[in-house]
Amino acid sequence: MADKRSDRIKYKLLKSLDISGFTVFDPMVRLAFAEEPKKQVKSIFRFLIVPIIFVFACIGLWWQVAPNHKTKSGEVPTPDVVWRSAVNNDTFSNREKTKESDFLLEGPEREEALAVVESTILEREATLETLRTKLSGHESDYAELLESQLAPLQAKLDTLKERNDELEAVAKEAVSAAAAAIEAGTGTPQELLEAMRKQNEIKDNSRESEGMYKDQIDAIRSEKYKPLEQARMQVNTVADEVQFLKKRTDFLSDSNRSVRVAEAKEKLAENLKSLEEATTAKKAETEAKKVLRSEASIERLENQQYASAMTIYTQIKRSLFTVFVGFITAAIIAIPLGVLCGLSPIAMACLTPVISIFKPVSPVVYLLIFQIVVGAFFPDPDSHPFFLFINSLPFIGGLAVNPALVFSACTVAACAVWPALVNTALGVASIDGDHINVARVLRLGFWDRLVKIIIPSALPLVFAGLRISLGVGWMVLIAAEALSSSDGLGKFVWDEYQNGSSLSFANILYACFVVGSIGFLLDRMMIVLQRLVSFDGKGTSL
Amino acid sequence: MNQKRNRFAALLGLLAAGTFCEAETLDVEKDELKFGFIKLTDCAPIVIAKEKGFFEDEGLQVEVIAQPNWKQLLDNVINGELDGAHMLSGQPIAATIGFGTQAHIVTSFTMDLNGNGITVSNDIWEKMQENDPDLDVDQPAHPITADALKPIVEEAKDEGRLLPMGMVFPVSTHNYEIRYWLAAAGIHPGMYTSTDIKGFTGGDVELSTTPPPQMPATLESGKNVAYCVGEPWNQQAVAKGIGVPVTTNYDIWKNNPEKVFGVTKDWAEENPNTHIAVTKALIRAGKWLDETDADGNLINREEACRILSQPNYVGADYDVLKNSMTGFFFFQKTDKREMPDFNVFFNYYATYPWYSDGIWFLTQMRRWGQITEPKPAAWYEEIARDVYLPEIYLAAAEHLLEEGYIDEEDVPWDTDGYRPPTDEFIDGIVYDGRDPIGYLNSHEIGNKDFL
Repeated sequence: MADKRSDRIKYKLLKSLDISGFTVFDPMVRLAFAEEPKKQVKSIFRFLIVPIIFVFACIGLWWQVAPNHKTKSGEVPTPDVVWRSAVNNDTFSNREKTKESDFLLEGPEREEALAVVESTILEREATLETLRTKLSGHESDYAELLESQLAPLQAKLDTLKERNDELEAVAKEAVSAAAAAIEAGTGTPQELLEAMRKQNEIKDNSRESEGMYKDQIDAIRSEKYKPLEQARMQVNTVADEVQFLKKRTDFLSDSNRSVRVAEAKEKLAENLKSLEEATTAKKAETEAKKVLRSEASIERLENQQYASAMTIYTQIKRSLFTVFVGFITAAIIAIPLGVLCGLSPIAMACLTPVISIFKPVSPVVYLLIFQIVVGAFFPDPDSHPFFLFINSLPFIGGLAVNPALVFSACTVAACAVWPALVNTALGVASIDGDHINVARVLRLGFWDRLVKIIIPSALPLVFAGLRISLGVGWMVLIAAEALSSSDGLGKFVWDEYQNGSSLSFANILYACFVVGSIGFLLDRMMIVLQRLVSFDGKGTSL
Repeated sequence: MNQKRNRFAALLGLLAAGTFCEAETLDVEKDELKFGFIKLTDCAPIVIAKEKGFFEDEGLQVEVIAQPNWKQLLDNVINGELDGAHMLSGQPIAATIGFGTQAHIVTSFTMDLNGNGITVSNDIWEKMQENDPDLDVDQPAHPITADALKPIVEEAKDEGRLLPMGMVFPVSTHNYEIRYWLAAAGIHPGMYTSTDIKGFTGGDVELSTTPPPQMPATLESGKNVAYCVGEPWNQQAVAKGIGVPVTTNYDIWKNNPEKVFGVTKDWAEENPNTHIAVTKALIRAGKWLDETDADGNLINREEACRILSQPNYVGADYDVLKNSMTGFFFFQKTDKREMPDFNVFFNYYATYPWYSDGIWFLTQMRRWGQITEPKPAAWYEEIARDVYLPEIYLAAAEHLLEEGYIDEEDVPWDTDGYRPPTDEFIDGIVYDGRDPIGYLNSHEIGNKDFL
């Protein structure tokens, strides 16, 4: 009995692995249930260990190759630099969260936190001081090193320059002598030309020889001095932290919401007092006005939220939301149209030219079209009822939906609609003739035929189409966001490119991994859905 | 002075409808605002006003959002997605007169003076050194004119090529500055005509638009041989050894206006108090940025650089931002110079919206043919008055004075909006905002109007 139960668990596990497409983990499950251990270990080694080794080898290769490839616009970051950029992004996001909670903190908790932050600042400032001394030490070291390396070259260059100047002066004299000779009637033009040629030659030679030294000097100057760079990085990290901590004290004291509310309440009390003391009508009126205004400002302050900067995590959420809005729109358009095309050759003939022309259009073109079209609907997006409604919803409200998101989503839909449409049409059109015959024999009505025969048998292909659509949509989205400045991963990448900081390249690569991983998960999700509806039992490829 | 102040009170009474007189928060019509900016160091006043809480002091919650390019930024202001933005000085003017996108944009605040540089590629720099041996030293004398560049341009032209150069936007200060610099040495930068909106007609060089971050890459790939751009993209070229900044706009026109804070006219009319409150916060930010100690050292700039180096703001490395912002500029690795006025955010009445600044941009638009028809001098003034709103600025300054944030001498209270005529240009030509036509006609290259 026990055996049977474990078998059942085993088969359930294997089935779920099969559906999710992670069949590589099969042997591990089988091994756990002690099924042919030798065979399992062998396949674990072949299909799990070897690929892992391969991936590590790739990373190792990247580590080796990256530092050798230097362009002036940026060095290729090594995996550790990319990792650092991931950590930095995480720190940034955590800091935003801390600031937000500081802004909202109240009562004794606020005071406690303030005390902690203030003592940390003192600590960090001390560290900063020592780091700064270290940095200045490295700076003078570097200056010395540079001097010692450059001095001999510079001396050589100077002597060379002197010699060249002399040679050039001699050549110049020869030229003027030749010219003078012509004036005196003793020289020939050929001699003058010869002298001039010689002068040019000497000039070129000296430039070339000087250039060699200059290049060497330049190369030495542009070489990076590692200890100095590192010291600078350490100083900057700590100094950034100090700045952040100081900002925190701000949020814990003057800018804190409860503090500001308390201040406003105090002011209100004052205003009320002076209203009571008012004796003239005019005075009373102005004081009453002040009271009303203070009341309004208290209400406003109490509801104030922290305006957080976009972090990578919020951007991921927004991108996912946008892609699903676009994808679902595409599916809603594509599936009925696809079924129609599949059923009716006339509809297919009508739509074919439309599909053929609009399918290959670049997402950028769609983006611009939607930017113009959608923009016209929302002259004042901040007070447009549509956005007010959307942004008041729970969960979605926090994503700050704006026209940029709408036209990014429309662009995704415009690009994602075609694969789903074409595949649905294909799926419907290629239904097994037997099925149709069965429907005929049973004398099914149109709806029954559609719901019971056509759609179920077309579903695997429909889902295959949707899977491609989602992949296309995700790819398009990043470009759309970058161009339309709609917050999301695309804007993250674009902003990084515009930043041009030393970590920008690493951040872009980091985004590459993030986008890739999310795309992979989305694809897997669609595979699972497809497998759940498909009954042909065939595996769906990677 | 008191009289003047009274005159002002009357003016403000009209504007702020009775809310003046009280030295407390203005009755803002809209308290959640979105401002756009481009990732350049001169967006600092907006960022600082947010980070140092100057907006909050006015009861405003402001979101500051990076924009991908100048065109998109302007579009977002026009379609209401943004309430206001960091703009090129030429943008409100060009939009108002309908060059490019047509929309009535106004400004009450100039964000900074100077801050741009012209960088040439290493190759061109070497050739310039050949043409002028005086440049072939570690620290050549400044200003460097385009005279040494002229033979290179001509040589290329003889070979049937036009040297490709870059600027950031057709109505950007950068476009006018590099044109000014080239024209001052007799190199024709090309004219805009009603059919040539790229501005290549008749040029000795090919001056095209490239977004700022791409500039160093275009120089390295040889797509451009020179460019004019704001920071940090000149210092980046030095740091990476791609090119050599030959001059800054401080040398082309000493203390020239660079960016403004622009909003649409409709927005300004709907939110007069908010507009004043925003201007107040920005003036305070400008003052904070230019604060110096007794020795004249800028004391807040390092903190400003740390803030700007955050990825959601400018995001460049602190060490690169620091160069131009704390009073230094690297022309070459060997040529580090003190330039305390490379970025001016408050001194020299920098933040005041001068009509004469607006008129200068109009003269350049006419000079290079972006304005296709000749216009009378009165038109120049009329447009400047349509775009620049010193009354908002002064209303804000009045409040700040009362609250004790600025001093009496910080603001040109009784100016007529024109800076005194100046000849501090690279070619020494005198500019007087009251005589735009005369100024236009005093240049060798470019449109001249004889009305």
